[in-house]
Amino acid sequence: MRTWSAEQRDLRIDFADKFAAWGEGHLERDRTGTFPWEQWKQVGESGLLKLPFDPAWGGLGQDLLTTMYVLEGLGYGCRDNGLNSSVATQLVSTGIPLHRFGTTEQKDRFLRSVADGTRIGAHAITERHGGSDAASMKSTAVRDGDNYVINGEKCFISNGPVADLFLLYVRTQGGTGPFGISTFLVERNTPGLGIGEVIDKMGLRTTPFCNITFDDVVVPASNMVGKLGKGFLILDYVMKWEVLCAFVLSLGNIRNRLERCIEFARSRTQFGAKIGSYQSISNKIVDMKIGLETSRKWLYDTAEDFLAGENVMMDLAIAKLMTSEANVKSAADAVQIFGGRGYLTEFGLEKDLRDATGGTIYSGTSEIQRDKISRILRVS
Amino acid sequence: MSYSDTIKSYIVREFVPDITTDDLADDYDLIANGVVDSLGLLRLISWLETTFSIPVDDIEINEQDFVTVTAICGFIDRAASTTDIAKAA
Repeated sequence: MRTWSAEQRDLRIDFADKFAAWGEGHLERDRTGTFPWEQWKQVGESGLLKLPFDPAWGGLGQDLLTTMYVLEGLGYGCRDNGLNSSVATQLVSTGIPLHRFGTTEQKDRFLRSVADGTRIGAHAITERHGGSDAASMKSTAVRDGDNYVINGEKCFISNGPVADLFLLYVRTQGGTGPFGISTFLVERNTPGLGIGEVIDKMGLRTTPFCNITFDDVVVPASNMVGKLGKGFLILDYVMKWEVLCAFVLSLGNIRNRLERCIEFARSRTQFGAKIGSYQSISNKIVDMKIGLETSRKWLYDTAEDFLAGENVMMDLAIAKLMTSEANVKSAADAVQIFGGRGYLTEFGLEKDLRDATGGTIYSGTSEIQRDKISRILRVS
Repeated sequence: MSYSDTIKSYIVREFVPDITTDDLADDYDLIANGVVDSLGLLRLISWLETTFSIPVDDIEINEQDFVTVTAICGFIDRAASTTDIAKAA
């Protein structure tokens, strides 16, 4: 069992009431697919988005594990999983790469506003033909004097419809491999940048998705983040943070669900006995606990190894697989344990199942994670 | 052990365990022959970064640097000439 310092616990406790408040009204927003603008403003004011960044750029200077610990609290306390997803996207899509690879000038221009939420960030990686095969991207940026001219399109961009700032991954050299990809900051009002309509989707309906297009979009060369051709390495770094920060939210979701299921199993009587006394119910709850604790260990241990500079490629794949699939299973089991109530929209459990399903698809599908592990094991 | 031997040992161990380091020619195309794919490149770069203390963030790289064992040796030499890396191998 991992132990947290009094400072870390106090930090999370201080956010607890805010997390719960931001979740209020989540069912209605889910039904209408509405981005929670008012709650987002409060998220920014709370300092949550400042956690991992250097105080020199308005951050709170917390380490990765503390950031994850607080985000687990967000996943537990805030029932609006779409809002939580937007928070994780903000941190890892723009904040983390800017913080790690950005120039001082880029940080001065953008990082403070990402850290206080006044600018919403998104990253644009996926293309129609690509999905998990990100290295096959075809959108291009061509040097023209002091500028780059960008053409192409990206799809399924989380936060896209509301984003002010995009971190865009495009090809600056020919070929189809991982090199020759570079990363650019593109502001929303840049001529030639087309923001598509919100795409309706199964879950996480309050974090909006859209496609974006680039039609001779001109950005200064100084908007390149990191070095020419290093975009894939930046993306690799970002994906590590994404798995750790986005899926620790799922850990909080499972913990919340487990408590609700235990309470329901203890109080609900059928055929003269509490339903928790039936093994077909209690086994589901036990499996939920095992999924929670196994995922927790993988996520935090992997974070520690990552910080220690170890190669965590397989560990991340296992952590992502474990957590996302434990989240889906526990959500499906919760619907079953609650029976008719689980199936009704008003209890929010069917929404949890829809939200959880996305986690087995984004950040590399479960199939891709298994394939990655298989390749590292040299199975084929 | 030279760079070349160290690199070959790693590649054989991690990617082609069915052959020996003697079987792996210095000019064998690792990418065109499917020995190292995009995931493998990330692992290889991470290993080079750690083993040879190469500050990957600070130097220019491209796919040609990793096509053959010879190219990888050249990459390490270039990194050493442009930075102050410790030649660990």
